[in-house]
Amino acid sequence: MSVLAPILALLLLAWCVAVLDAWMTTGRFRPLAPLTATLALVAGESLVPRKPDRLFFETAPILLLLAAVLAAAALPIAPHLVITDLATSALFVNAALAYVLVALLMAGWGPDGAYAMIGGWRFLGQTIAYSMLIVMPITAVAMRAQSLLTTDIVRSQAGLWNVLYQPLGFALFFVAAMAVSFLPPFDLPTASGELAGGVEAEYTGARRAIFRLGRTILIVSLATATTVFYLGGWLGPWLPPWLWSALKTLAVAAAMLAAGHAVPRLREAHLLAWAWKAGIPLAMLNIFLVGVLLLVIP
Amino acid sequence: MSALQLAFVTFFGLAAVWFALVVFRTSSMMRSALALLFSQTALGALFLALQAEFLGVLQIMMMATEMSIMAIFMVMFMMDPGGLGQMDMTHQKRLSIVAGVVAAAVVAVVAVLTPWGAPATSIPNPSEQLQGLGRELLGRSMLVFETAGITILTAMVAATAVAMPALQRRRER
Repeated sequence: MSVLAPILALLLLAWCVAVLDAWMTTGRFRPLAPLTATLALVAGESLVPRKPDRLFFETAPILLLLAAVLAAAALPIAPHLVITDLATSALFVNAALAYVLVALLMAGWGPDGAYAMIGGWRFLGQTIAYSMLIVMPITAVAMRAQSLLTTDIVRSQAGLWNVLYQPLGFALFFVAAMAVSFLPPFDLPTASGELAGGVEAEYTGARRAIFRLGRTILIVSLATATTVFYLGGWLGPWLPPWLWSALKTLAVAAAMLAAGHAVPRLREAHLLAWAWKAGIPLAMLNIFLVGVLLLVIP
Repeated sequence: MSALQLAFVTFFGLAAVWFALVVFRTSSMMRSALALLFSQTALGALFLALQAEFLGVLQIMMMATEMSIMAIFMVMFMMDPGGLGQMDMTHQKRLSIVAGVVAAAVVAVVAVLTPWGAPATSIPNPSEQLQGLGRELLGRSMLVFETAGITILTAMVAATAVAMPALQRRRER
Protein backbone atom coordinates (compact mmCIF):
# COMPACT_ATOMS: atom_id res chain seq x y z
CA MET A 1 0.00 0.00 0.00
CA SER A 2 2.71 2.43 1.01
CA VAL A 3 4.44 1.76 -2.31
CA LEU A 4 1.31 1.69 -4.44
CA ALA A 5 0.04 5.16 -3.50
CA PRO A 6 3.22 7.06 -4.52
CA ILE A 7 3.49 5.06 -7.77
CA LEU A 8 -0.11 5.90 -8.66
CA ALA A 9 0.53 9.54 -7.77
CA LEU A 10 3.58 9.48 -10.04
CA LEU A 11 1.58 8.07 -12.96
CA LEU A 12 -1.22 10.59 -12.41
CA LEU A 13 1.26 13.48 -12.37
CA ALA A 14 2.94 12.10 -15.49
CA TRP A 15 -0.47 12.07 -17.18
CA CYS A 16 -1.01 15.73 -16.23
CA VAL A 17 2.46 16.70 -17.47
CA ALA A 18 1.86 14.94 -20.79
CA VAL A 19 -1.45 16.79 -21.23
CA LEU A 20 0.22 20.08 -20.27
CA ASP A 21 3.06 19.51 -22.73
CA ALA A 22 0.65 18.76 -25.58
CA TRP A 23 -1.47 21.76 -24.62
CA MET A 24 1.54 24.09 -24.70
CA THR A 25 2.90 22.73 -27.99
CA THR A 26 -0.30 22.33 -29.99
CA GLY A 27 -2.58 24.84 -28.21
CA ARG A 28 -5.31 22.21 -27.83
CA PHE A 29 -6.42 20.91 -24.44
CA ARG A 30 -7.05 17.17 -24.82
CA PRO A 31 -7.16 15.38 -21.44
CA LEU A 32 -7.38 11.94 -23.07
CA ALA A 33 -4.43 12.47 -25.43
CA PRO A 34 -1.94 10.38 -23.34
CA LEU A 35 -4.30 7.39 -23.54
CA THR A 36 -4.81 7.61 -27.30
CA ALA A 37 -1.11 8.26 -27.90
CA THR A 38 -0.14 5.24 -25.79
CA LEU A 39 -2.66 3.04 -27.58
CA ALA A 40 -1.38 4.20 -30.93
CA LEU A 41 2.22 3.45 -29.95
CA VAL A 42 1.57 0.10 -28.29
CA ALA A 43 -0.64 -1.11 -31.13
CA GLY A 44 1.90 -0.03 -33.74
CA GLU A 45 4.78 -2.11 -34.98
CA SER A 46 7.96 -1.98 -32.86
CA LEU A 47 10.83 -2.25 -35.32
CA VAL A 48 14.33 -3.44 -34.49
CA PRO A 49 17.03 -1.75 -36.56
CA ARG A 50 19.54 -3.74 -38.57
CA LYS A 51 22.57 -5.01 -36.57
CA PRO A 52 21.65 -3.52 -33.19
CA ASP A 53 23.39 -4.11 -29.89
CA ARG A 54 20.23 -5.90 -28.86
CA LEU A 55 20.98 -5.95 -25.13
CA PHE A 56 21.46 -2.17 -24.93
CA PHE A 57 18.61 -1.48 -27.32
CA GLU A 58 16.12 -3.39 -25.17
CA THR A 59 17.50 -2.26 -21.79
CA ALA A 60 17.73 1.49 -22.46
CA PRO A 61 14.02 2.48 -22.27
CA ILE A 62 13.48 0.30 -19.20
CA LEU A 63 16.56 1.71 -17.46
CA LEU A 64 15.40 5.28 -18.18
CA LEU A 65 12.01 4.48 -16.63
CA LEU A 66 13.67 2.75 -13.67
CA ALA A 67 16.03 5.66 -13.00
CA ALA A 68 13.16 8.15 -13.08
CA VAL A 69 11.01 6.07 -10.73
CA LEU A 70 13.91 5.44 -8.33
CA ALA A 71 14.66 9.17 -8.17
CA ALA A 72 11.05 9.78 -7.21
CA ALA A 73 11.16 6.93 -4.68
CA ALA A 74 13.22 8.99 -2.24
CA LEU A 75 11.05 12.13 -2.53
CA PRO A 76 8.12 12.58 -0.13
CA ILE A 77 4.66 13.60 -1.38
CA ALA A 78 3.27 13.97 2.15
CA PRO A 79 4.88 13.42 5.61
CA HIS A 80 4.47 9.63 5.42
CA LEU A 81 3.86 9.18 1.71
CA VAL A 82 7.34 8.25 0.52
CA ILE A 83 8.53 4.92 -0.89
CA THR A 84 11.89 4.71 0.90
CA ASP A 85 12.95 7.02 3.70
CA LEU A 86 16.72 6.57 3.44
CA ALA A 87 19.07 8.56 5.67
CA THR A 88 20.91 9.60 2.49
CA SER A 89 17.83 10.17 0.34
CA ALA A 90 18.97 13.54 -1.07
CA LEU A 91 22.10 11.80 -2.33
CA PHE A 92 20.08 8.82 -3.53
CA VAL A 93 18.01 11.08 -5.82
CA ASN A 94 21.22 12.12 -7.48
CA ALA A 95 22.47 8.52 -7.69
CA ALA A 96 19.29 7.50 -9.51
CA LEU A 97 19.54 10.48 -11.88
CA ALA A 98 23.07 9.42 -12.85
CA TYR A 99 21.55 6.36 -14.54
CA VAL A 100 19.58 8.59 -16.92
CA LEU A 101 22.96 9.14 -18.57
CA VAL A 102 23.66 5.40 -18.75
CA ALA A 103 20.21 4.77 -20.26
CA LEU A 104 20.70 7.43 -22.93
CA LEU A 105 24.20 6.18 -23.77
CA MET A 106 22.72 2.70 -24.24
CA ALA A 107 19.89 4.10 -26.35
CA GLY A 108 22.49 5.95 -28.41
CA TRP A 109 24.83 3.02 -28.95
CA GLY A 110 22.23 0.23 -29.15
CA PRO A 111 20.46 0.82 -32.47
CA ASP A 112 23.66 1.29 -34.54
CA GLY A 113 22.37 4.51 -36.07
CA ALA A 114 24.24 7.77 -36.64
CA TYR A 115 21.60 10.13 -35.22
CA ALA A 116 21.09 8.03 -32.10
CA MET A 117 24.85 7.73 -31.56
CA ILE A 118 25.41 11.49 -31.78
CA GLY A 119 22.47 12.08 -29.45
CA GLY A 120 23.81 9.65 -26.87
CA TRP A 121 27.31 11.11 -26.76
CA ARG A 122 25.90 14.61 -26.68
CA PHE A 123 24.09 13.77 -23.49
CA LEU A 124 27.39 12.69 -21.94
CA GLY A 125 28.74 16.20 -22.56
CA GLN A 126 25.51 17.65 -21.24
CA THR A 127 25.93 15.61 -18.04
CA ILE A 128 29.38 17.07 -17.50
CA ALA A 129 27.75 20.49 -17.73
CA TYR A 130 24.79 19.94 -15.40
CA SER A 131 25.90 17.35 -12.83
CA MET A 132 27.76 19.77 -10.56
CA LEU A 133 24.79 22.15 -10.72
CA ILE A 134 22.58 19.39 -9.32
CA VAL A 135 24.93 18.28 -6.53
CA MET A 136 26.18 21.65 -5.28
CA PRO A 137 22.73 23.27 -4.75
CA ILE A 138 21.58 20.06 -2.99
CA THR A 139 24.63 20.42 -0.71
CA ALA A 140 23.48 23.89 0.32
CA VAL A 141 19.94 22.61 0.91
CA ALA A 142 21.27 19.76 3.08
CA MET A 143 23.42 22.27 4.99
CA ARG A 144 20.36 24.20 6.07
CA ALA A 145 18.41 21.06 7.01
CA GLN A 146 21.53 19.55 8.65
CA SER A 147 20.36 16.28 7.14
CA LEU A 148 20.29 14.38 3.86
CA LEU A 149 16.83 13.06 4.68
CA THR A 150 14.33 14.57 2.22
CA THR A 151 11.57 14.69 4.83
CA ASP A 152 13.90 16.66 7.15
CA ILE A 153 14.71 18.98 4.24
CA VAL A 154 11.00 19.79 3.82
CA ARG A 155 10.56 20.33 7.58
CA SER A 156 13.57 22.69 7.64
CA GLN A 157 11.62 25.03 5.36
CA ALA A 158 8.67 25.49 7.74
CA GLY A 159 9.76 29.05 8.56
CA LEU A 160 10.95 30.16 5.15
CA TRP A 161 11.03 28.24 1.89
CA ASN A 162 14.44 27.63 0.39
CA VAL A 163 13.45 29.46 -2.78
CA LEU A 164 13.62 32.66 -0.70
CA TYR A 165 16.43 31.53 1.61
CA GLN A 166 18.74 30.54 -1.25
CA PRO A 167 17.27 31.89 -4.52
CA LEU A 168 20.59 31.43 -6.31
CA GLY A 169 20.60 27.70 -5.55
CA PHE A 170 17.00 27.46 -6.75
CA ALA A 171 17.78 29.14 -10.07
CA LEU A 172 20.78 26.87 -10.68
CA PHE A 173 18.92 23.71 -9.68
CA PHE A 174 15.92 24.62 -11.83
CA VAL A 175 18.07 25.06 -14.93
CA ALA A 176 20.09 21.91 -14.18
CA ALA A 177 16.86 19.93 -13.66
CA MET A 178 15.71 21.01 -17.13
CA ALA A 179 19.06 19.79 -18.50
CA VAL A 180 18.73 16.39 -16.77
CA SER A 181 15.31 15.80 -18.30
CA PHE A 182 16.63 17.10 -21.65
CA LEU A 183 13.83 19.60 -22.02
CA PRO A 184 14.29 22.44 -24.50
CA PRO A 185 16.57 24.42 -24.67
CA PHE A 186 18.71 21.50 -23.43
CA ASP A 187 17.15 18.85 -25.71
CA LEU A 188 20.52 18.11 -27.31
CA PRO A 189 20.18 14.28 -27.23
CA THR A 190 16.81 14.27 -29.01
CA ALA A 191 17.04 17.60 -30.88
CA SER A 192 13.99 17.40 -33.10
CA GLY A 193 14.55 19.18 -36.41
CA GLU A 194 18.28 18.58 -36.25
CA LEU A 195 18.93 14.99 -35.16
CA ALA A 196 15.52 13.63 -36.19
CA GLY A 197 14.85 12.48 -32.65
CA GLY A 198 18.42 11.47 -31.76
CA VAL A 199 18.41 8.75 -29.09
CA GLU A 200 14.68 8.32 -29.64
CA ALA A 201 14.92 8.09 -33.43
CA GLU A 202 15.20 4.31 -33.80
CA TYR A 203 12.56 3.45 -31.21
CA THR A 204 9.06 2.68 -32.42
CA GLY A 205 5.92 1.12 -31.02
CA ALA A 206 5.87 -0.22 -27.47
CA ARG A 207 9.58 0.48 -26.89
CA ARG A 208 9.01 4.14 -27.76
CA ALA A 209 6.01 4.21 -25.42
CA ILE A 210 8.23 3.05 -22.54
CA PHE A 211 10.90 5.61 -23.49
CA ARG A 212 8.30 8.41 -23.53
CA LEU A 213 6.81 7.26 -20.22
CA GLY A 214 10.29 7.22 -18.66
CA ARG A 215 11.02 10.72 -19.93
CA THR A 216 7.69 12.08 -18.67
CA ILE A 217 8.17 10.50 -15.24
CA LEU A 218 11.69 11.93 -15.23
CA ILE A 219 10.21 15.42 -15.68
CA VAL A 220 7.79 14.71 -12.81
CA SER A 221 10.63 13.42 -10.59
CA LEU A 222 12.70 16.52 -11.18
CA ALA A 223 9.73 18.82 -10.61
CA THR A 224 9.05 16.94 -7.36
CA ALA A 225 12.72 17.28 -6.40
CA THR A 226 12.55 21.04 -7.01
CA THR A 227 9.38 21.20 -4.89
CA VAL A 228 10.91 19.18 -2.05
CA PHE A 229 14.25 21.00 -2.03
CA TYR A 230 13.09 24.58 -2.61
CA LEU A 231 9.30 25.05 -2.42
CA GLY A 232 8.58 23.50 0.95
CA GLY A 233 7.28 20.17 -0.36
CA TRP A 234 3.93 19.40 1.24
CA LEU A 235 3.93 22.52 3.46
CA GLY A 236 1.03 24.93 3.00
CA PRO A 237 -2.18 26.09 4.69
CA TRP A 238 -5.78 24.78 4.30
CA LEU A 239 -5.28 22.12 1.64
CA PRO A 240 -4.13 18.56 2.50
CA PRO A 241 -0.35 17.99 2.24
CA TRP A 242 -0.45 15.67 -0.79
CA LEU A 243 -2.49 18.23 -2.75
CA TRP A 244 0.05 20.96 -2.01
CA SER A 245 2.84 18.67 -3.25
CA ALA A 246 0.91 17.84 -6.42
CA LEU A 247 0.02 21.46 -7.18
CA LYS A 248 3.56 22.71 -6.61
CA THR A 249 5.03 19.87 -8.67
CA LEU A 250 2.69 20.61 -11.57
CA ALA A 251 3.46 24.32 -11.35
CA VAL A 252 7.22 23.60 -11.50
CA ALA A 253 6.75 21.20 -14.42
CA ALA A 254 4.65 23.80 -16.25
CA ALA A 255 7.31 26.44 -15.61
CA MET A 256 10.00 24.11 -16.98
CA LEU A 257 7.98 23.38 -20.12
CA ALA A 258 7.10 27.06 -20.61
CA ALA A 259 10.69 28.22 -20.11
CA GLY A 260 11.84 25.89 -22.87
CA HIS A 261 9.39 27.30 -25.39
CA ALA A 262 10.85 30.79 -25.13
CA VAL A 263 14.55 29.96 -25.58
CA PRO A 264 16.46 28.61 -28.61
CA ARG A 265 18.41 25.36 -28.25
CA LEU A 266 21.88 25.77 -26.75
CA ARG A 267 24.99 24.48 -28.45
CA GLU A 268 26.95 21.82 -26.59
CA ALA A 269 30.12 23.94 -26.29
CA HIS A 270 28.16 26.98 -25.10
CA LEU A 271 26.30 24.90 -22.54
CA LEU A 272 29.57 23.55 -21.14
CA ALA A 273 31.16 26.99 -21.11
CA TRP A 274 28.21 28.57 -19.28
CA ALA A 275 27.94 25.72 -16.80
CA TRP A 276 31.63 25.72 -15.88
CA LYS A 277 32.48 29.40 -16.11
CA ALA A 278 29.30 30.82 -14.59
CA GLY A 279 27.30 27.97 -13.03
CA ILE A 280 29.89 26.32 -10.82
CA PRO A 281 31.32 29.57 -9.34
CA LEU A 282 27.75 30.72 -8.63
CA ALA A 283 26.98 27.36 -6.97
CA MET A 284 30.13 27.81 -4.82
CA LEU A 285 28.96 31.32 -3.92
CA ASN A 286 25.56 29.87 -2.99
CA ILE A 287 27.15 27.33 -0.62
CA PHE A 288 29.25 30.12 0.91
CA LEU A 289 26.26 32.45 1.37
CA VAL A 290 24.15 29.71 2.93
CA GLY A 291 27.05 28.88 5.25
CA VAL A 292 27.33 32.51 6.34
CA LEU A 293 23.55 32.77 6.82
CA LEU A 294 23.55 29.61 8.92
CA LEU A 295 26.30 30.97 11.15
CA VAL A 296 24.88 34.50 11.43
CA ILE A 297 21.18 33.66 11.91
CA PRO A 298 20.80 31.08 14.68
CA MET B 1 23.68 -11.15 9.65
CA SER B 2 20.21 -12.38 8.79
CA ALA B 3 19.60 -15.07 6.18
CA LEU B 4 17.95 -12.57 3.85
CA GLN B 5 20.88 -10.20 4.18
CA LEU B 6 23.31 -13.04 3.45
CA ALA B 7 21.28 -13.99 0.38
CA PHE B 8 21.45 -10.41 -0.96
CA VAL B 9 25.17 -10.12 -0.20
CA THR B 10 25.83 -13.40 -2.05
CA PHE B 11 23.65 -12.36 -4.99
CA PHE B 12 25.27 -8.96 -5.46
CA GLY B 13 28.73 -10.40 -4.88
CA LEU B 14 28.21 -12.99 -7.60
CA ALA B 15 26.70 -10.32 -9.90
CA ALA B 16 29.80 -8.15 -9.39
CA VAL B 17 32.09 -11.07 -10.28
CA TRP B 18 29.97 -12.01 -13.32
CA PHE B 19 29.97 -8.48 -14.75
CA ALA B 20 33.71 -8.25 -14.09
CA LEU B 21 34.15 -11.37 -16.23
CA VAL B 22 31.93 -9.90 -18.96
CA VAL B 23 34.36 -6.95 -19.20
CA PHE B 24 36.92 -9.32 -20.72
CA ARG B 25 34.55 -11.63 -22.57
CA THR B 26 33.27 -8.95 -24.94
CA SER B 27 35.10 -7.15 -27.73
CA SER B 28 32.72 -4.20 -27.75
CA MET B 29 34.25 -1.26 -25.88
CA MET B 30 30.82 0.02 -24.95
CA ARG B 31 29.69 -3.32 -23.53
CA SER B 32 32.99 -3.70 -21.72
CA ALA B 33 32.76 -0.26 -20.08
CA LEU B 34 29.15 -0.67 -19.05
CA ALA B 35 29.82 -4.20 -17.73
CA LEU B 36 32.45 -2.66 -15.48
CA LEU B 37 29.89 -0.06 -14.43
CA PHE B 38 27.35 -2.73 -13.51
CA SER B 39 30.02 -4.68 -11.66
CA GLN B 40 30.68 -1.57 -9.56
CA THR B 41 26.95 -0.91 -9.15
CA ALA B 42 26.54 -4.46 -7.85
CA LEU B 43 29.30 -3.70 -5.31
CA GLY B 44 27.35 -0.58 -4.29
CA ALA B 45 24.24 -2.70 -3.82
CA LEU B 46 26.35 -5.12 -1.77
CA PHE B 47 27.36 -2.23 0.51
CA LEU B 48 23.67 -1.35 0.87
CA ALA B 49 22.93 -4.97 1.82
CA LEU B 50 25.70 -4.68 4.44
CA GLN B 51 23.93 -1.59 5.85
CA ALA B 52 26.72 0.78 4.80
CA GLU B 53 24.18 3.13 3.29
CA PHE B 54 26.25 6.20 2.47
CA LEU B 55 29.06 4.16 0.95
CA GLY B 56 26.60 2.18 -1.17
CA VAL B 57 24.71 5.18 -2.51
CA LEU B 58 27.96 7.05 -3.20
CA GLN B 59 29.41 4.07 -5.08
CA ILE B 60 26.25 3.67 -7.18
CA MET B 61 26.21 7.42 -7.96
CA MET B 62 29.89 8.03 -8.74
CA MET B 63 30.44 5.01 -10.96
CA ALA B 64 27.65 5.85 -13.42
CA THR B 65 29.30 9.06 -14.62
CA GLU B 66 32.88 7.82 -14.28
CA MET B 67 32.39 4.65 -16.31
CA SER B 68 30.39 6.52 -18.97
CA ILE B 69 33.28 8.95 -19.39
CA MET B 70 35.66 6.00 -19.60
CA ALA B 71 33.40 4.51 -22.28
CA ILE B 72 33.75 7.54 -24.56
CA PHE B 73 37.56 7.43 -24.26
CA MET B 74 37.60 3.70 -25.01
CA VAL B 75 35.41 4.26 -28.06
CA MET B 76 37.58 7.18 -29.21
CA PHE B 77 40.96 5.50 -28.86
CA MET B 78 40.33 1.87 -29.87
CA MET B 79 40.52 0.93 -33.52
CA ASP B 80 37.45 -1.32 -33.42
CA PRO B 81 35.16 0.05 -30.70
CA GLY B 82 32.16 -2.03 -31.72
CA GLY B 83 34.15 -5.27 -31.64
CA LEU B 84 32.63 -6.25 -34.99
CA GLY B 85 35.85 -6.33 -37.05
CA GLN B 86 37.22 -9.55 -35.51
CA MET B 87 40.26 -7.56 -34.53
CA ASP B 88 42.46 -8.74 -31.66
CA MET B 89 42.92 -5.75 -29.39
CA THR B 90 44.86 -7.57 -26.67
CA HIS B 91 48.61 -7.46 -26.19
CA GLN B 92 51.26 -8.67 -23.70
CA LYS B 93 49.02 -11.57 -22.76
CA ARG B 94 51.51 -13.55 -20.71
CA LEU B 95 52.67 -10.52 -18.73
CA SER B 96 49.04 -9.55 -18.00
CA ILE B 97 48.20 -13.05 -16.77
CA VAL B 98 51.24 -13.12 -14.48
CA ALA B 99 50.50 -9.63 -13.16
CA GLY B 100 46.85 -10.54 -12.59
CA VAL B 101 47.63 -13.73 -10.71
CA VAL B 102 50.29 -12.04 -8.56
CA ALA B 103 47.98 -9.13 -7.71
CA ALA B 104 45.13 -11.49 -6.79
CA ALA B 105 47.49 -13.53 -4.61
CA VAL B 106 48.74 -10.39 -2.82
CA VAL B 107 45.17 -9.25 -2.14
CA ALA B 108 44.23 -12.71 -0.85
CA VAL B 109 47.30 -12.85 1.43
CA VAL B 110 46.57 -9.37 2.81
CA ALA B 111 42.92 -10.30 3.40
CA VAL B 112 43.86 -13.47 5.27
CA LEU B 113 46.80 -12.12 7.28
CA THR B 114 45.30 -8.80 8.40
CA PRO B 115 44.11 -8.90 12.01
CA TRP B 116 40.57 -7.61 11.43
CA GLY B 117 39.56 -7.77 15.09
CA ALA B 118 36.26 -9.07 16.39
CA PRO B 119 33.30 -8.58 14.02
CA ALA B 120 31.01 -5.71 14.98
CA THR B 121 27.96 -6.88 16.86
CA SER B 122 25.83 -3.78 16.29
CA ILE B 123 25.72 -1.37 13.40
CA PRO B 124 25.09 2.35 14.05
CA ASN B 125 21.98 3.58 12.27
CA PRO B 126 22.49 5.34 8.91
CA SER B 127 22.23 8.91 10.23
CA GLU B 128 24.79 8.14 12.95
CA GLN B 129 27.06 6.68 10.26
CA LEU B 130 26.74 9.92 8.29
CA GLN B 131 27.55 12.02 11.34
CA GLY B 132 30.54 9.84 12.15
CA LEU B 133 31.78 10.14 8.58
CA GLY B 134 31.47 13.93 8.71
CA ARG B 135 33.47 14.11 11.93
CA GLU B 136 36.11 11.81 10.45
CA LEU B 137 36.41 13.93 7.28
CA LEU B 138 36.84 17.15 9.26
CA GLY B 139 39.00 15.60 11.95
CA ARG B 140 41.66 12.91 11.77
CA SER B 141 41.39 12.34 7.98
CA MET B 142 41.08 15.99 6.99
CA LEU B 143 44.65 16.35 5.76
CA VAL B 144 44.47 13.17 3.67
CA PHE B 145 41.23 14.12 1.97
CA GLU B 146 42.11 17.76 1.41
CA THR B 147 45.48 16.75 -0.08
CA ALA B 148 43.75 14.30 -2.41
CA GLY B 149 41.19 16.94 -3.38
CA ILE B 150 43.82 19.57 -4.16
CA THR B 151 45.87 17.02 -6.13
CA ILE B 152 42.87 16.12 -8.30
CA LEU B 153 42.06 19.81 -8.83
CA THR B 154 45.66 20.48 -9.85
CA ALA B 155 45.54 17.58 -12.29
CA MET B 156 42.32 18.94 -13.80
CA VAL B 157 43.77 22.42 -14.24
CA ALA B 158 46.96 20.95 -15.73
CA ALA B 159 45.01 18.74 -18.14
CA THR B 160 42.95 21.73 -19.29
CA ALA B 161 46.13 23.77 -19.75
CA VAL B 162 47.63 20.98 -21.88
CA ALA B 163 44.48 20.87 -24.03
CA MET B 164 44.31 24.64 -24.57
CA PRO B 165 46.84 25.01 -27.45
CA ALA B 166 44.99 22.35 -29.49
CA LEU B 167 41.73 24.19 -28.91
CA GLN B 168 43.32 27.48 -29.99
CA ARG B 169 44.66 25.88 -33.18
CA ARG B 170 41.20 24.59 -34.02
CA ARG B 171 39.71 28.05 -33.50
CA GLU B 172 42.26 29.63 -35.81
CA ARG B 173 41.52 27.16 -38.57
